[in-house]
Amino acid sequence: MLLCAAFFCSCTGNIGDPSGAAVPSLGVNGASGSSAASGASGSGNGSDGDAGSQDKLVPAPPALSRLTVSQYRNSIADLFGSAVNVPTDLEADTSLKGFTSIGAASVTIAATTAEKYEAAALDVAHQVFGDATQREKLVACKPASAADSCIRDYLASFGKRVWRRPLTGDELDSLAKLVSDVGDSFADPWTGLEYATAALLESPYFLFRVDHGEPDPGDATRRRYGDFEMASRLSYVLWDTTPDDALLAAAGRGELTTRAGLEREAKRLIASPRLRPALVRYFSENLALERLDTLSKDSAVYPDMSPTLPAAMRGELVHAFEHVVFDEDGDVRELIDSPKTFVNAELAKLYGIDVSELDGKSADTFVEVDSAPERRGLLTTAGILATYANTTSTSPTRRGKFVRTRLLCQEIMPPPPGVVTVLPPAEPNQTMRERLELHRTNALCATCHNLMDPIGLALEHFDGIGKFREKDGTAMLDVTGTLDGAAFDGALELASLVRTQPDFGPCIARQLYRFATGHVDDDGEQGVLDALSHDFDASGYRLKALVLALVTSDGFRYAGELD
Amino acid sequence: MPRFSLNRRTFLRGAVGSAAFAFGLPALELMFDENGTAHADGTPLPVRFGLWFFGNGVRRQYWIPEAVGTGWTPREELQPFADAGVLSYLNVISGLEIKTPYHAHHSGMTGITTGAPMKVLGNVRDTIASTVSQPTIDVVAAQHFKGKTPYQSLELGVCNFTGTDEGTTFQYLSMNGPNDPNPSEYSAEKLYARLFGTSPNDPKFALATKARQSALDLVRTQIRALQKNVGTTDKHRLDQHFESIRSIETRLQLLGKNSCTTPSAPVDPMNVSGMEPIAEKNKLMSDMLAVALACDLSRVFSVCFETCGSGTYFWQSGANDGMHPMCHAAANDLVHKAVVFTMQQCAYLLAQLKATPEGAGNLLDNSSILITTEHSEGDTHTQDDFPILTAGKAGGALKTGVHYRSPDKENTTKALLSVLRAAGLPLTEFGTDEGKVTEGITAIES
Repeated sequence: MLLCAAFFCSCTGNIGDPSGAAVPSLGVNGASGSSAASGASGSGNGSDGDAGSQDKLVPAPPALSRLTVSQYRNSIADLFGSAVNVPTDLEADTSLKGFTSIGAASVTIAATTAEKYEAAALDVAHQVFGDATQREKLVACKPASAADSCIRDYLASFGKRVWRRPLTGDELDSLAKLVSDVGDSFADPWTGLEYATAALLESPYFLFRVDHGEPDPGDATRRRYGDFEMASRLSYVLWDTTPDDALLAAAGRGELTTRAGLEREAKRLIASPRLRPALVRYFSENLALERLDTLSKDSAVYPDMSPTLPAAMRGELVHAFEHVVFDEDGDVRELIDSPKTFVNAELAKLYGIDVSELDGKSADTFVEVDSAPERRGLLTTAGILATYANTTSTSPTRRGKFVRTRLLCQEIMPPPPGVVTVLPPAEPNQTMRERLELHRTNALCATCHNLMDPIGLALEHFDGIGKFREKDGTAMLDVTGTLDGAAFDGALELASLVRTQPDFGPCIARQLYRFATGHVDDDGEQGVLDALSHDFDASGYRLKALVLALVTSDGFRYAGELD
Repeated sequence: MPRFSLNRRTFLRGAVGSAAFAFGLPALELMFDENGTAHADGTPLPVRFGLWFFGNGVRRQYWIPEAVGTGWTPREELQPFADAGVLSYLNVISGLEIKTPYHAHHSGMTGITTGAPMKVLGNVRDTIASTVSQPTIDVVAAQHFKGKTPYQSLELGVCNFTGTDEGTTFQYLSMNGPNDPNPSEYSAEKLYARLFGTSPNDPKFALATKARQSALDLVRTQIRALQKNVGTTDKHRLDQHFESIRSIETRLQLLGKNSCTTPSAPVDPMNVSGMEPIAEKNKLMSDMLAVALACDLSRVFSVCFETCGSGTYFWQSGANDGMHPMCHAAANDLVHKAVVFTMQQCAYLLAQLKATPEGAGNLLDNSSILITTEHSEGDTHTQDDFPILTAGKAGGALKTGVHYRSPDKENTTKALLSVLRAAGLPLTEFGTDEGKVTEGITAIES
């Protein structure tokens, strides 16, 4: 929900329901980090922070993941090539706990969704089999009748691509029967093949990534993901699409259940340009950049707001991310305090930077520039500042909460029920800091708000769309504060401080782990997360190194018991 | 009507397991009896069940009529129903309360659509995420009518805004169960293609239908095979997939027999400068829904006019922000105006149903519709004194024109039980946990 968070966190006013007046608490999400924040209490996932049990991996139970819209579309494009127009009318993804991959592991296929999948499958099959050249290329023969032996060869080889594993004899029999039944009734084997191909695409074996796991032959006490399951796990995380022939071949040779084979294939996929859109998806979902699509700003208060500005804001963040991860393969923490950034013409104007080379260039053109002197990194980008603000004002609470929950993986509970979450109207010349004074004087509010508001107040030089301002109205700004005991003065010092927070690096690893595995980590995975954080640190915080460590880690390779 | 108690889960699962389909013929193909109150063979005209949902509550001072009983005068937010000539088809129910454990928006949304507590998915990130713990009432009704019409239910959406991060509660209206939505169709063009796009007169239609069924049969076999090899949760998810495939097959068998007059094809209205043409979209969707119900393509519908906590920007009524932020900013006069606009859209659908003749009466005479939202008022998020309307006479099972005001904050689920019963479901209780009730609102039941 776009604007909920900010208001939930403004706990001014009265507690309406005395019985529900539990003190809001902050929990560090996961047992690591042991944040110095006061009020930290255990994990949001039920952890008691018991360090003694951290090393024993308890993998999450396997789950079916429905292909996301982009995975479905990429898979169809890779399976059929440029021969088909990829269907667009598909059910939208469900984002759960921050990531569509987590949503994909919980959604099912409702009636209307199944209809769309059926229509898409029939459409794709018809595009291919309605074209003599295309169908002969795909099937690699001209079947004389529905009983032609080459039909079974096609079903076996293409079926393996579509289902990402070899088909059983029974499965081939039933598909071959479909070809002959339909082929006979239409007196045309091609039509039989068309419907059998549609059936492959309507199948749960295509629409769901089937993770089941199998006993580990080397260790009877645990279960691992099988070779073909690993092929799909790797490919959909790293490329957002179906495994290519080389990956399926490696699975067929039993190499993806070996560390060496897995590492070799993972490195091959990571070296490919196809990694880029997949990791941009992780980055965008983690920062909730989709909220920029529905940004709501009052143009009377913010005359610089325009229909094209949100895309420019997103562009800056994505360019900065791609630059550090792909162009430089550098320390990804630079995102938080880099002195350089990327702007297009509209953003340069908002930032008050003169970039003559952008004159007359389209909105798609971004160039790397020195940041304006008052800006350093992520927290001072317009995209983050505008997303975590209100329609007509800034929101130090939301900005502070962003740092706590998204960058440091700490959890802050919403205020208890019945709290009136509306700030009193501003008095003349009252600063935001003064308006938020209630958050500090009311003890119930202060518990949480002392964790959020001071961080956000450091960013008060940036208005609700991220434009720099000297003053808040007519008042000079006080942008000093403390973060878990460490003092800072203004946005630049805050950025440096966030970078050195003990939770910052591990939080990147934790969020990537959630994105890649499609579930929120549980206590039994803490050892894996600690090891990943350690490797990430040792690599100099290179994201591609973290990705490699992650997909070759035991947390990615081993399956829990079926629930 | 004979009433007996039926465990709701058994009821749903039991219906899932039955192999035989009862094929109903579209009403238009049948003769009515001479009074126009039943089919010629004596079976009563079908009652349709509807759920019409809007987000963010109302302003009670403009919503709740002053007088109770009959003969009350609508205030501003219900005036659109009078203007559209459908006020006499309404009941106003006020003073009820959601009894399930509270969380702003979430418990109200899940409580009023299922009669059961929300299922919390976690506290990760900015707030909580939740889903339902039980099916929504439209799904419960659809199970009752299962196999009688080509579409088990129709799910429509109007305003495009949906939440992204708080679970299905903020994204969907119709739910089969936890994390198992029936997504709404938001495009008038796509709804048209779905309902009226196939042409059974195509000579190859029968052959193609048979081929599609063969493929779907295979998919069903695969789902059953896959189910042997997955965990309990995934087994349930695949049950739903299986049912979805089955519903397509039912449709393929029934569609060829339908003799619906195809309405003209709509064109989706475009946003102009970011301003959503809500009234135009609502009109297109409502018009098609009335036709689909008239020719018995489905007997159940849900209209997600807006999602729970929607941030829809109602420029039409002078809004200065999205609805949800306006509520939080306590811009209550603007919120009130947006509620009036919203009720105008609801009244349009009711007027279309009323304008669609059926037998001696009209579609609205034969409908049982619940109109509601997720809490009372957006600035406080309270879930007592819940805004609830019923519309339609349900073939005589619902009284109309009543304002029932609860003297003691009765359970909102009572209203759900009443509208489901009115649609012909033989229920004596509804809801679970704190949401469970064993009686309806007797003041509106005939």
